[in-house]
Amino acid sequence: MSTPRRLAFALAGLLAALALLLLPPPAARSQAPDVLLNVIAGGAKKLNLFMPDFTVTGAPDPAGLSRSLADVAGNDLTFSTLFSVVSGQPALPAGNLDAMQKAWTEAAAAGAHAALHVLVTPRPDRLEGEMRLYDLTSPQLRQIATKKFAVVPTEARRLAHKIADEVVFQFTGELGDADTKIAFVGLRSGAKEIYTMDYDGASPVPLTANQSINLSPRWSPDARSLAFTSYMRGYPYLYRLFAFERRPVQLLAGFLGINSSPAWSPDGRQVALTLSKDGNPEIYVLTLASGAFRRLTTHPSIDTDPCWSPTGREIAFVSDRSGSAQIYVMDAEGANLRRLTQSGFNTQPRWSPKGDTIVFTSRQGLHDLWAVAPDGSALRRLTTGPGDNESAAWSPSGRHLAFQSSRLRGTKVFTMLADGSEQQPIANAPADSASPAWSPRLP
Amino acid sequence: MPQRRGTLHLLLPLLALTLLVTGCPKRPATITAAAAPAPTGAAMAPASPGVQPAPAAPSTGGSTSPSATSPAPATAAPATAAPATPPRPSEFAENANLRDVYFDFDKYDIRPDDAKTLDANASWLKSNANNLVLIEGHCDERGTNEYNLALGERRAKATMNYLVSQGIQANRITIISYGKERPVCSEKSEACWQKNRRAHFLVKAR
Repeated sequence: MSTPRRLAFALAGLLAALALLLLPPPAARSQAPDVLLNVIAGGAKKLNLFMPDFTVTGAPDPAGLSRSLADVAGNDLTFSTLFSVVSGQPALPAGNLDAMQKAWTEAAAAGAHAALHVLVTPRPDRLEGEMRLYDLTSPQLRQIATKKFAVVPTEARRLAHKIADEVVFQFTGELGDADTKIAFVGLRSGAKEIYTMDYDGASPVPLTANQSINLSPRWSPDARSLAFTSYMRGYPYLYRLFAFERRPVQLLAGFLGINSSPAWSPDGRQVALTLSKDGNPEIYVLTLASGAFRRLTTHPSIDTDPCWSPTGREIAFVSDRSGSAQIYVMDAEGANLRRLTQSGFNTQPRWSPKGDTIVFTSRQGLHDLWAVAPDGSALRRLTTGPGDNESAAWSPSGRHLAFQSSRLRGTKVFTMLADGSEQQPIANAPADSASPAWSPRLP
Repeated sequence: MPQRRGTLHLLLPLLALTLLVTGCPKRPATITAAAAPAPTGAAMAPASPGVQPAPAAPSTGGSTSPSATSPAPATAAPATAAPATPPRPSEFAENANLRDVYFDFDKYDIRPDDAKTLDANASWLKSNANNLVLIEGHCDERGTNEYNLALGERRAKATMNYLVSQGIQANRITIISYGKERPVCSEKSEACWQKNRRAHFLVKAR
């Protein structure tokens, strides 16, 4: 770096610091990424985040939110793999700057790079939370961000999730994946029902109870509804349910044959799906506002399992037109077909939110997850057993994948980073959970 | 979950579209647009007249090429018509005279030995003309849910096409795919997987 540029940077830094003093919250945002970058550049793999239990103010804390919400947020931040969380310390007294200063100084001496202080205030109709983030690598232990949140009292965990997502945002410029749900197919009394749970496995709730076979849940982009295949009326039809509202289930497609494999367009206005009404399984697109179906494929072999690119311009799908199941890509009008995978038995294409990767399931004896760039390059393996690993679903940020694995007893939902590292079962997820669908960030 | 209104405007175009595609050239059926009454009060009848699309000249088996049993494209003339709404699968019952047929892994063509089984099934159906038949297409646990749903559909369809080629009226036949969702055998072995890769028959008196 040349000297004039370095000077300019120093000047800009000084101005930014000055601005920080005058207008703390908005200008603070630009500081946090530097803290993380400096820590990583200094050789650390993760940022050491000191996080005492939350400070509950203005009301007693009979439910123990101070500890329980700190645990939730701490697990969220650990899950992000960006932070090494130091937690379990007693809450700081409210409004006591000296106590905070002392705690931060000790934490910094013990190697913490940043500190998170959260104030929780229970109100009759809502739960308020304020996060304050401090840079412990700065001599003044300066505050680098602050933000307030409110949730309804029954959704206290979401307050912790939102705060954790904001901390990730402050350090990376992109929200975390904690304030999300994962829908899945669970076994109940021999039936396959659709459930949701928090992304970390908490609070599983059944969304269907029709005692038949329900498959392939897919969240709408607004995270309010799910499309899915169900045998609730005997034959496999496609439906839409509203996850958080008392609204009746809608029939999306009830043609003769299979009505399956829903995939929402990124704008939420269309659903790509598989219908066999015209003789064999083909890809169609349903426009929700008009109820019109548009056929995209015309081939006497199997075409199924569509998945939109995040731009909505292309659709990846599965076809056995070559004699074995392979991944293909076409544009959203059904033209410009190209074959993406060449050998083996490949299904379940899942396009990443950033558009640069398509994850799919490859069967070579057992099933494992692989990834490939949309141009067919950069083919790489993400899982190597044990058992079957399939049915991938991207987190909204694209940093994580959920998938089903039979490596333990039964089938369970696991998560991993997008590069295949950090594979782990979702701790609290019910046994016999499969076909995960990771929601967009909740409304 | 109750469903009352809101889908009718969607159902009617679907119904019309499906009828268009599967209409009958030989023997115009009186097609009633009325959906079946909701059986449980929990759901509206789906927009699906029970007309199977036309089968193409079916394979007599032996080939391993997927295209050997490919049904005709959607523009082909349907062979016949059927009642406007297929009976629910739960209305059909097991019948010991109709034997299952089996498929090779990831294939949906009829194997020569199974063609003989289907000949026998066809012969029973001819002499028991009062029976409708439901053909279930099934897969083993290998392969993923969505693909296997399509594969089971192709197996049921190939089986139906064979029966039609043996003189069974298409309007007596309904097909359904269960993909890999209803295995009869749950061990991880080829012997078990072979039992699951099947087309199964159920009957119902007209």
